[in-house]
Amino acid sequence: MGSSEKRSKDIMSDIPTFSAENLQNNLKVIQNSRTFLSIIAGVLAGIIGFNGLIGFVFYFVVMLITSVGLMAKAGFSADLYFDSWNRVLFDGFLGGLMSFVLFWTFAYDLVHIF
Amino acid sequence: MNLGFLVGVFGVLILSHAAYSTIQYRGLLKIMEEEFSRPPINVILELIIGLALCMWAALTFPGKFLSIHPDSDENRAVFLPDNSDFMIFNHRGRLFPPQIDMKF
Repeated sequence: MGSSEKRSKDIMSDIPTFSAENLQNNLKVIQNSRTFLSIIAGVLAGIIGFNGLIGFVFYFVVMLITSVGLMAKAGFSADLYFDSWNRVLFDGFLGGLMSFVLFWTFAYDLVHIF
Repeated sequence: MNLGFLVGVFGVLILSHAAYSTIQYRGLLKIMEEEFSRPPINVILELIIGLALCMWAALTFPGKFLSIHPDSDENRAVFLPDNSDFMIFNHRGRLFPPQIDMKF
């Protein structure tokens, strides 16, 4: 009885308790920010006239700036709002790539071809 | 509608104006029979300002980050549910006291 009670206490104390609703809210905020900036980066790349790999380099630069902005928004202390630093820095990094290519080609066609 | 949304709309409008300026510039280059190398300086400045405004809007408009720790000040329970008659504490769960330090 004592050992089983101790074991259950250890199990309960080992698992960290997070507020799942707030974690979901934070992840949704990050996804929305990254999606919107992917679209904006695509429009910018199209207007400037980037071709080939320069456009993808531009996308990753904008995503890095977004990561720094999200770090600043979290107050440079990701422990309060997320379970790890990767959530702020790299989550959703490649998710907006298709949106970027879509709006890149769309803006390029509008400005430079038509 | 709040400030973040307005700043985002304004940034998108600036980008639209930059696109229109680039289209005009391309038409001018066609008349002068020259090659396009890069947009003019004012268009680049408009693009940088538009990107900065949209970056600020993307970081403020989707909402604030909420704390995920149950014991932080944001997640304090400030009221009890109405049906207090159904809150029974004398049950078999009292044999396993919880280790969570909840603040009420």
